[in-house]
Amino acid sequence: MRDNIFFLGKGGVGKTTVSSAFAMALARRGSRVLAVSLDPAHNLGDALQTKLNGEPKKVEPMLDALEVDLAYWVDRYLEDSKEELKANYSYNSALNLDSFFGILKYSPGTEEYAVLWAIEDIRRRLAPQYDFVVFDTPPTALTLRFLSMPAISGLWVAELTKLRERILRDRQTIVRLNPQSPVAESCVDKEDDKVYGKLKNIRTRLTSLQDLFAKRSYMSIIVNPDELSVSEAIRIKDELSQLGIMLSAVCLNKKGLSRAEWTLSPEFGQLPLLICDFAPNGISTREDLVHIGIEPFIDLFLGKRYVKNE
Amino acid sequence: MPKRFGRIIKNIFKTFAQVNREKATGMLDFELKELENIFALLILGGFVGLPSPPSPIAIELLPYMERELIVLLSRSDLSHDPLGVLASMLEID
Repeated sequence: MRDNIFFLGKGGVGKTTVSSAFAMALARRGSRVLAVSLDPAHNLGDALQTKLNGEPKKVEPMLDALEVDLAYWVDRYLEDSKEELKANYSYNSALNLDSFFGILKYSPGTEEYAVLWAIEDIRRRLAPQYDFVVFDTPPTALTLRFLSMPAISGLWVAELTKLRERILRDRQTIVRLNPQSPVAESCVDKEDDKVYGKLKNIRTRLTSLQDLFAKRSYMSIIVNPDELSVSEAIRIKDELSQLGIMLSAVCLNKKGLSRAEWTLSPEFGQLPLLICDFAPNGISTREDLVHIGIEPFIDLFLGKRYVKNE
Repeated sequence: MPKRFGRIIKNIFKTFAQVNREKATGMLDFELKELENIFALLILGGFVGLPSPPSPIAIELLPYMERELIVLLSRSDLSHDPLGVLASMLEID
């Protein structure tokens, strides 16, 4: 069941507006919904007019929302790793760890991983209490990076696992031939080897995240009636299909903003097209969100009615 | 006296067997150290500019890699003369 809904698109197309309207309309139909902002520059709280933090906060009777604190996840992860390292290494090997881990905070890939850890935590700890989890994503670059991370890291982990298996095979042979070898003091079995166990654990988690994105998520792309947002949407579609992630719907937001002639690119011809109108008077209250024309989207999502792309 | 003599003979054979075992596993031990070195380099290479997995994976594995790190450091000590190391391992003068 696709019970995670991701809204993707170019910066400024209205991801937060559409995702908060979607989450609110879905909750008002009687489903328990959690709206999650993954964007480091959060404004889901502004759209829902509720001050949010890293834990779910009640917005409406059936709607909770939270804004993921990426800095918290990076710090927590590094702190856990540091403690584990101190526990396993001899005292003098673990000296000056603070400065080392302080730098790692800025290492490439850490922010993308923080998003993945947050999603993993939401799926494990919070999602069972809700029917649907609606994700408002960051602009394209970071979103594509974190969506592709499980597949890329999975390749690395698969190769490292093979190499580790070879190391363990060699250790077993040495210990069998020469039980007094110093190698006998290190782990020789897959079951005892912590590195192998950790690799297996990382692989399981990455596969589960990849499955979540590819099989259990409703990926919806948002465009505006302009060329730039559509060109970027085409690039997102292509990148996602390489990762085995298929788009489920296209949402044209701010229809009527421009009078210039505009048609949706044929690349999206197979996908249902949903339309949200431009609000000429702006969206100043939470109630305004339900008037942007999100209802057909909810119908489509819940499978009650299909809107043809015309 | 014959008992003591028997013990000495036994020890000689034991030592002889152990030397043979060490010789038999010497090459494999060398290969193992190389593999452990490569494994450590692959994981920690990002910190010295080599292609490596995303650093959060390295950080997750790091707490269990003390042995590999020690091998990596000892390997770097020998890196100025890798042919010499290989020649001595193959007993080439």
